[in-house]
Amino acid sequence: MPKIREPDVHPPYLYPGYKSTILRAPKQPLVRVAPSPLDAVAPVFPKRFVKDAEADLTTWGKGAPLGEKMVLVGRVLDEDGKPVRGSLVELWQANASGRYAHPVDTHEAPLDPNFLGKGQVLTDDEGRYRFVTIKPGAYPWENHPFAWRPAHIHLSLFGNAYAQRLITQMFFPGDPLLPIDPIFNSVPDEAARLRMVADLALEHGVERIALGYRFDIVLRGPRATPMGV
Amino acid sequence: MAKQTPSQTVGPFFSRGLLWEDGGKVLFAGQGERITLAGRVLDGAGAPVADALLETWQADAAGKVPAAGDAARPHGYARVSTGADGGYAIETVMPGAYTDPDGDTYAPQLHVTLFARGLLKAVRTRVFLAGLDAIKDDPLARAVGNADRLKTLVAAPDSRDPTLYRWNVRLQGEGETVFIEF
Repeated sequence: MPKIREPDVHPPYLYPGYKSTILRAPKQPLVRVAPSPLDAVAPVFPKRFVKDAEADLTTWGKGAPLGEKMVLVGRVLDEDGKPVRGSLVELWQANASGRYAHPVDTHEAPLDPNFLGKGQVLTDDEGRYRFVTIKPGAYPWENHPFAWRPAHIHLSLFGNAYAQRLITQMFFPGDPLLPIDPIFNSVPDEAARLRMVADLALEHGVERIALGYRFDIVLRGPRATPMGV
Repeated sequence: MAKQTPSQTVGPFFSRGLLWEDGGKVLFAGQGERITLAGRVLDGAGAPVADALLETWQADAAGKVPAAGDAARPHGYARVSTGADGGYAIETVMPGAYTDPDGDTYAPQLHVTLFARGLLKAVRTRVFLAGLDAIKDDPLARAVGNADRLKTLVAAPDSRDPTLYRWNVRLQGEGETVFIEF
């Protein structure tokens, strides 16, 4: 009986609709090797590496940043559904106008002196994390004519094993730019793509102040992945 | 079984979010032989990749998993971005060789993960800080097999400065670096 192959979770290296992949995608097949003892453990972040204030991106400046205030909550889990505890979650994003506080961002939208767009937390014993931020704006980019990135938040994760290291992007439900974004659509499987879209979760918001969104993140297991996955 | 969240590119705007002061200076609880790993990251046209995030993770000088500590950053781990010329540098100690429970011996090496605009998922590999003869029994060296390809993972000591190891990453094309999956 032919083996039923699960669709790929992750995007391919080469995805010509996203032009920057064309000269950067490796062409040789990846060499398969067993995870090393170092792949089975992760860098340990000292407690003092993360400060409580870094969970709230809206208190960085002297005043409040412009934009729609939001709370982002979620759990970091592994493929067995087990919580990933005490693990660093880093977040960075554009401001409400769709501009990054970054020297190479040339988008003609205003910087916000009260918003840097950077945060980090450690997950708790249930794998939970929580950020307070503002909803980032969409922004144009040079990939193709009239290209606009949908609003998104970048997230970087370590897991409890270096094999689990992941950088991803979180998108917003109902965004009309999602169907035309080559980065979002580089993920071949629709169900996997939709796992990058947060859920509106009003109950996690702050009444009359901030909208709530929930975004759970599932990392691979630390063991070798099955062939062909 | 929970289903994985897909990878997405780190994009070009990560530096304020992810870079650390002295992120290229690796901390350890103990001492060791100080070395520097430096080189450039190049694309399929041989052009510098000026916006890559390069991370290393390694054993300590005794070949042990880095111990937890209360330093400013995690032990054994470095994170830098490439510069305008695609260049990077990591200051660390020479990792020791180690043997896993299955009896496989790992030659002195750094685990490397590279993120960049245009990489929808990270490329991962291991760079050896020892010559071809000294790494031939390493599990990755055996898996690569082909000596020409394996050479892409060997950092060569500089002829004038033996503490400086040079290693370039070629993402694509002639001399393409070996990347791994596990």
